[in-house]
Amino acid sequence: MRLAILALILAVPRSPQKAQQPASLQTASQRTSPAESAKTGNSTAASVSPAAVEAPEEPPVQLDKAARDSIHELITRFRRDPQRVPLPSDNQIAMGGKTVAAGTQVNGPVAAAGGPLHVYGTVNGDAIAIGSDVIVHAGGRVTGNAVSALGSVTLVGGTVQGEMRQLGGGLGDVPRNAATPESRIGATRHAVALSSSWLLILILIGIGVLVFANSYLEGVVESLEGRFGRSFWAGIAAQLALAPALALLIVALAVTVLGILLIPFAIVAFVLAVVGLITLGFLAVARITGESVAPGRRGHAHGVALRAIVVGVVLYMGLWVLASAFTWAPMVGTVLRGIAVAITWVAATAGLGAAVLSRGGTRRPAPPFATAVPVNDVPWQTPTPVTGVVAARRPTPASSQRER
Amino acid sequence: MGRGVTLLLGCVAAGAVRATPLVAQSWRSLDVARQLSDSAPTTVEVVYGTGMFGLRGTANPLLYHMRLRYDASRTQPRHAFDLATRKLHVGVEKSGVRFTGRNDNESGQLQLELSRVVPLDLSLDLGAVEADLDLTGLRLSRLHIESGASDGKLRFDSLNRTPMSVLQVSLGAASFRGERLANANARDIRVDAGVGNVELDLGGQWTQDIDLRVEVTLGLVTIHVPSDIGVRVSVEKTLASFAHEGLVQRDGAWVSTNWESAPHKLRISAETVFGKLTIDKTGR
Repeated sequence: MRLAILALILAVPRSPQKAQQPASLQTASQRTSPAESAKTGNSTAASVSPAAVEAPEEPPVQLDKAARDSIHELITRFRRDPQRVPLPSDNQIAMGGKTVAAGTQVNGPVAAAGGPLHVYGTVNGDAIAIGSDVIVHAGGRVTGNAVSALGSVTLVGGTVQGEMRQLGGGLGDVPRNAATPESRIGATRHAVALSSSWLLILILIGIGVLVFANSYLEGVVESLEGRFGRSFWAGIAAQLALAPALALLIVALAVTVLGILLIPFAIVAFVLAVVGLITLGFLAVARITGESVAPGRRGHAHGVALRAIVVGVVLYMGLWVLASAFTWAPMVGTVLRGIAVAITWVAATAGLGAAVLSRGGTRRPAPPFATAVPVNDVPWQTPTPVTGVVAARRPTPASSQRER
Repeated sequence: MGRGVTLLLGCVAAGAVRATPLVAQSWRSLDVARQLSDSAPTTVEVVYGTGMFGLRGTANPLLYHMRLRYDASRTQPRHAFDLATRKLHVGVEKSGVRFTGRNDNESGQLQLELSRVVPLDLSLDLGAVEADLDLTGLRLSRLHIESGASDGKLRFDSLNRTPMSVLQVSLGAASFRGERLANANARDIRVDAGVGNVELDLGGQWTQDIDLRVEVTLGLVTIHVPSDIGVRVSVEKTLASFAHEGLVQRDGAWVSTNWESAPHKLRISAETVFGKLTIDKTGR
């Protein structure tokens, strides 16, 4: 692209006005030399209508094929640009520049490419230069917009009734439209990065829990091992109760005047508590899963527990990583993601239930039944005759009638 | 911890880092201006999402001049002027005002120049923007600034030649500093901030009394007042402090000792929760 523009610049001869490529839109007061300002007699392009000046005759510019091709490429890109304005057909675009002579009126849009568009007369409509400048001289008038793509719009005493626009930095479609194949790869990368990050975060949280809150984790694990089914149903009940519990909390605080101020903090605390319980429960499930999938070898208890947690988290989050790796294939990715959601939900629900039942791991489940200790039950029994005691029958209405 | 676990953690970390998505950006520039044809009042609405925003007056015969540098893959410029209603919309499309979470090495930029000849009803709708608003020399009949999370500076170095009906600033989470606000020539100034640090300097040329209403939920509010101006402050605060040095309590409000004799008066109505309100009457 840069080579094409360079070829274009070399191919196009200098115009008589020597239009430069200023960085921004300039008016006559900024741009013209003192001598030129004196000639046009005004420094504000819009306030005073300056006298028309002679339009210099410009020889037709001869462009070689490479230059013409690069100009056509620019025109094509301009037609696709979101900031485009309507252009005439290609054969009506002046290649190498154009001059609208003083005293003439031209119906727009008037366009030049690869060379400047000098306006001494009147353009009824838009004046457009692609890869070059629009220069509106004293007496020149553009009733529409003056637009320059990759060039500048310069007022030398002329008038532009519409907008003066300079497009820079690039022309054509926005990349997101052009790069659809890459976007799927990008989306896949992004999804894999996200799920991998969550995997890493959960492992780090697991390490933190093992180090700082292992006793709570042990409590949840024990609760889960002893009564998995009950934990699962308790988890579902807890999920259903979350919203009503929060609402109840807010209402309870709202009824007290001072409590209203505490509502935001209570909401945050509630959310943190729920997230903490879910995480604790999920880690407990992951640990049990890890222990069952890869039974621990002999070693330090913490090491065995860490290994089990890592294996469990990798198993559960691995499903998500796998699902995200198939983001480029929407159908497969959706199915895998559905499976991951279902399995994760079951694990999180059972974990939440166990965390709730064990009060966050602080309450261990009672042992199912203690080993029966032989006791001598004779001493506490009420002595009864071997033959038994005859029970007296209490009369009832039905029996009374029967007796009658 | 076993070597296997260490290796696994390393692989996951490396994967998470390596798989950072590539961001396709397309930085472009747009320079838009319109020649000044008359001095009829104009309504200007500026919308800008993220980046740096500069606003000032221009002495050139232009109604407006916008220099925009933007990422075309994220947003599109907006520039429209309705000749019939005299309404100008500049900046970026509102749908483009969004946070994408991308870590941009480059940021967008909007430099806007407005005519110093035309009376303007100016409305700024800013997102996460670093704003430098030099409104010196502009003729503003109304000014409304709304900003999400910005670091903004507003100043009037000379007197606004058009009396301003209201100067209203609404901020989300922001740091805002207004300098020489008396030059705004506004009778009514309202500042409403969620979380942030608001500093208002009411220096400048006083042409009338000013009613200032400040509401800050969480943050620091500092109001600098020239020493010759009479000040009356009524405060509603909850878990907030009020530094009222040089003011005395009278009729349920805090009043400066020169309240009756002052040539101009500033009536401050402040409401703050979890914050601090400071009145600095040292004459800066």
